[in-house]
Amino acid sequence: MVPNRAVASRASFPSRLLTTWLVAGFLLSLVVMASLLYGAGPVSPGDAFAALLGNGPDNAHFVVSELRGPRTMIGLVTGLALGLAGALLQSMTRNPLAEPGLLGVSAGSGFAVALAILFGASNATLTTFVAQLGALAGCALVIAATRVQGLGNDPVRLILAGATLSGLLLALTSMLMLMDQRAADEIRFWITGSIAGKPLTLLSSTLPAIAVGLLIIAMVARPLAAMALGEKAAVGLGHHPGRIRFLITLSVALLVGSATALAGPLIFVGLVVPFIARAFAGPDIRKTLWLCLPIGPAVVLGADVLSRLIAAPSELPLGVVTALIGAPVLLAIVRAGRMPSL
Amino acid sequence: MLLALTDKRTGLANGFLLLALVAASLSSMSLGTISVAPLDVLGSLLGKADPMTDFVVKELRGSRILAGLLSGAALAVAGCLMQTLARNRLATPGIIGIDNAATAFAVASVVGIGLSLAPSAMALAGAAAATSLAFGLAGANGTRGYRFIVAGIGIGAIAGAATQVMLSRVAIDAANAAYPWTVGSLNARSGHSVVILSIGLVLAAILLAIINRGLNTLQFSDAVAIALGTRLRAIRILGLGLSVLLTGLAVSVCGPVGLVALLAPELARTLCRPGKVPLLASGLAGATFMVLADLLGRTLFSPLEIPVGIITAIVGSPYLLWILLKPSNRSLT
Amino acid sequence: MSSVPTKTRSAAKKSFLALAAIAFSLNVAKAESRTVETAFGPVTIEGQPERVVTLYEGALDTTLAVGSSAVGAVITRGGSDVADYIQPQAADVAIVGAPAETNIEAVIAARPDLILAAPRTSKQQYQLLSRVAPVVVSDVPMFQPDSWKQETQLFARALGQEEAGEAVIEQVESRIAEVRQLVEATIPEDRRDATLVRWMPQGPLIMAEGLFSASILQATGFEVTDNNLVKEGRPHSEPLSLENLTRMDQSWVVLATLNEDGKKALESARKSPAFERLNAVRNEQVISVSGQLWTSASGPLAALAILDDIETAVQNIQP
Repeated sequence: MVPNRAVASRASFPSRLLTTWLVAGFLLSLVVMASLLYGAGPVSPGDAFAALLGNGPDNAHFVVSELRGPRTMIGLVTGLALGLAGALLQSMTRNPLAEPGLLGVSAGSGFAVALAILFGASNATLTTFVAQLGALAGCALVIAATRVQGLGNDPVRLILAGATLSGLLLALTSMLMLMDQRAADEIRFWITGSIAGKPLTLLSSTLPAIAVGLLIIAMVARPLAAMALGEKAAVGLGHHPGRIRFLITLSVALLVGSATALAGPLIFVGLVVPFIARAFAGPDIRKTLWLCLPIGPAVVLGADVLSRLIAAPSELPLGVVTALIGAPVLLAIVRAGRMPSL
Repeated sequence: MLLALTDKRTGLANGFLLLALVAASLSSMSLGTISVAPLDVLGSLLGKADPMTDFVVKELRGSRILAGLLSGAALAVAGCLMQTLARNRLATPGIIGIDNAATAFAVASVVGIGLSLAPSAMALAGAAAATSLAFGLAGANGTRGYRFIVAGIGIGAIAGAATQVMLSRVAIDAANAAYPWTVGSLNARSGHSVVILSIGLVLAAILLAIINRGLNTLQFSDAVAIALGTRLRAIRILGLGLSVLLTGLAVSVCGPVGLVALLAPELARTLCRPGKVPLLASGLAGATFMVLADLLGRTLFSPLEIPVGIITAIVGSPYLLWILLKPSNRSLT
Repeated sequence: MSSVPTKTRSAAKKSFLALAAIAFSLNVAKAESRTVETAFGPVTIEGQPERVVTLYEGALDTTLAVGSSAVGAVITRGGSDVADYIQPQAADVAIVGAPAETNIEAVIAARPDLILAAPRTSKQQYQLLSRVAPVVVSDVPMFQPDSWKQETQLFARALGQEEAGEAVIEQVESRIAEVRQLVEATIPEDRRDATLVRWMPQGPLIMAEGLFSASILQATGFEVTDNNLVKEGRPHSEPLSLENLTRMDQSWVVLATLNEDGKKALESARKSPAFERLNAVRNEQVISVSGQLWTSASGPLAALAILDDIETAVQNIQP
């Protein structure tokens, strides 16, 4: 379940970070256990544990392997993608508040899917593709906005523009739902974030895109760190800022689009995860990205476990829980003495 | 308010906005699923129409227009006040989460979670809670700078999520009853809330007429304002209190139709003489905006209705985006 | 993109209309001023209503069932028109809004002389509607086994069709007896337990035992249960976590959706491993039905259509 353990023990890895990373990985494995053991249904943690070991009642075995297992996998991948995308976007825009959800990237993705459903799409692969396309459009808008003079250096205006864009897309989606009641149920299902009951086939249709996103990150992590020293320094080191920005935009779009196809728009995950990671890793984007690997999945799965337990025997939408967890983090960032710049 | 009329350009602007409001209201009385000829509308207003026309024009549309007009005016004045106090044209109640918090509290009262207070009172409590929270979090910076706004976005997100949780936890009928509050609609207003709102507006108008001069000096720096004899602290507290009051009461009537509070003062400032706080013009513009948006919502897909909040979001967001993305924007923050 | 215009359908079932017209002309002479008890006190209705607007699916059903005709109705939940099962009889009915949001102006435009409104109409809405025409809001307690009978009697009386109302109730009851015989002859007594589920894109929604269609199903000899999963104060339905699907493992599962026809609903539910696991699914004892009819409609015509569904399903299992 813990990704990239082998890579993590590379010799170049600083030992202090390794400790943090191992602690985070341990926490993640705890959350994964919780995700497998606790649910809204009648299967007790004890029975679920027995089922994990291969015995236990038949029903527990089914619930763990067929319901909680896939759900946990989807949560892991979603958290991984959103955490990394948030860290990338924040580093590139040098804005600690640049979060895909807040900036309207997820809303763009959700709106694209809503449109596709309205025009009759139901195939999982198609919606994945549409979600990624929507995210790409959202990302392009964000990047265009940061290029506007003055806006790039003004975190508040940027996220306010993102919030406005999200509001606009949400209103348009509501209008689509009003006009076609039949599509409304399905659209509502897409625009409220959730990882329950999603088929594992969805995961296989998004994995290629996520793999490409990760590959790009591996390629641009070093130049991105150089860009943190200033564009001139990066150019001096032989990097091409324009090309790097393009690659990062592509990577963020692929990651957020895939995450939205898996779980619907989840806001604040991309804010919370890099925020925690930076607190431990410091300003180096490479270290932050490493730490996002275990923290992202842990945050999403932790929120999902809460969503099952708060409202049993039914469940809360995951998006609501991530907002309840994430908004206070936003407030904490604001409360911190000065706006930390990246 | 009379003071504002002494200035020629401002007077013209107010006259124009008043005319626009009357025209919008009359069209709204005439158009709908049933169309009533403009002459019949006038006839009904003069008391010379058949009972059914009278019923449609006065009771169905008239009361709805009145509710829209009052809540639009209240939201716009509240927005203009807060922008003036914060010296930031983005600092409107909707953007800093007051609308959402008022909505969350109003929904709590509608779906009957623990408290059985009237939606008006609950919306007010929500608005006040959000404002104090935003101030508390923004710390010593007060309403100035980015923190206030970012804190507001966070508070708005929490309130929005809380509303969702409440709606998913109650019976479907209660959730349906609370639905208008979540999108902003004039369809479910209660007569009581409208009466309370109009009382609030009258009260606010009197107090604002008294502090009008002081508010105008707030456009200068604190030092200048104090030199001009303005009691800064008193005016800030009173102005903010009124802004919260008007927002809370308006939300209890029409739900979170936040963008009116941003667009109307924008328009008013464009039309009026610079250097004065265009409270009256903002109110008139807000009322016109709301009446027009509701008219669109009622007629676009008749007999089905689009809630007014969706219309204002679709019309208003692109404009807000334009303000935000316009290069070299000096009047921001 | 389908918007919902005010629509007037060309007559689909002319024979039905002709019958209704005859019934109508015969009854004119008998109708006189009468008072009916409603949720907002007694309401007096003069003569034979000719332009009836129904703001509730059960009221439209009853109106058509007793041979009156309606000039206005609301769309069914999750649809963009009246429910499919009643479409043929409801030709020429104008749409005046959605169940949650009536457009009063559209009601006025239909020029009604009687309005039959939903049980939970608010006082404010009632007062406005009363200005247009007499309004009957049912005061029958909901979610009881014979709620539909009392409601039929109430609306029939308001329509001046009391005899037709009794006749149609009798018709439904004899049909229930017929289907009950079939059920008792076909299914052993300990295998008659059933649950009613609506399948949404989000997952299952378990429907309450007191629901109209559940009470009809119960009357035909099935043992309908919601396993206490529908909490107090939520009389209609409760969304379920997939993990809890196993808790509704009855011999029979009646599966409905609002969006798709029954067959598609079954297909989408079958994609879920939790659903596949149910004993009813393994034994092929799933009855897939229209959600418009089974989870939203009520009234005598709905009862007859539901009984047809049950009869077909039970006949299919005969060896």
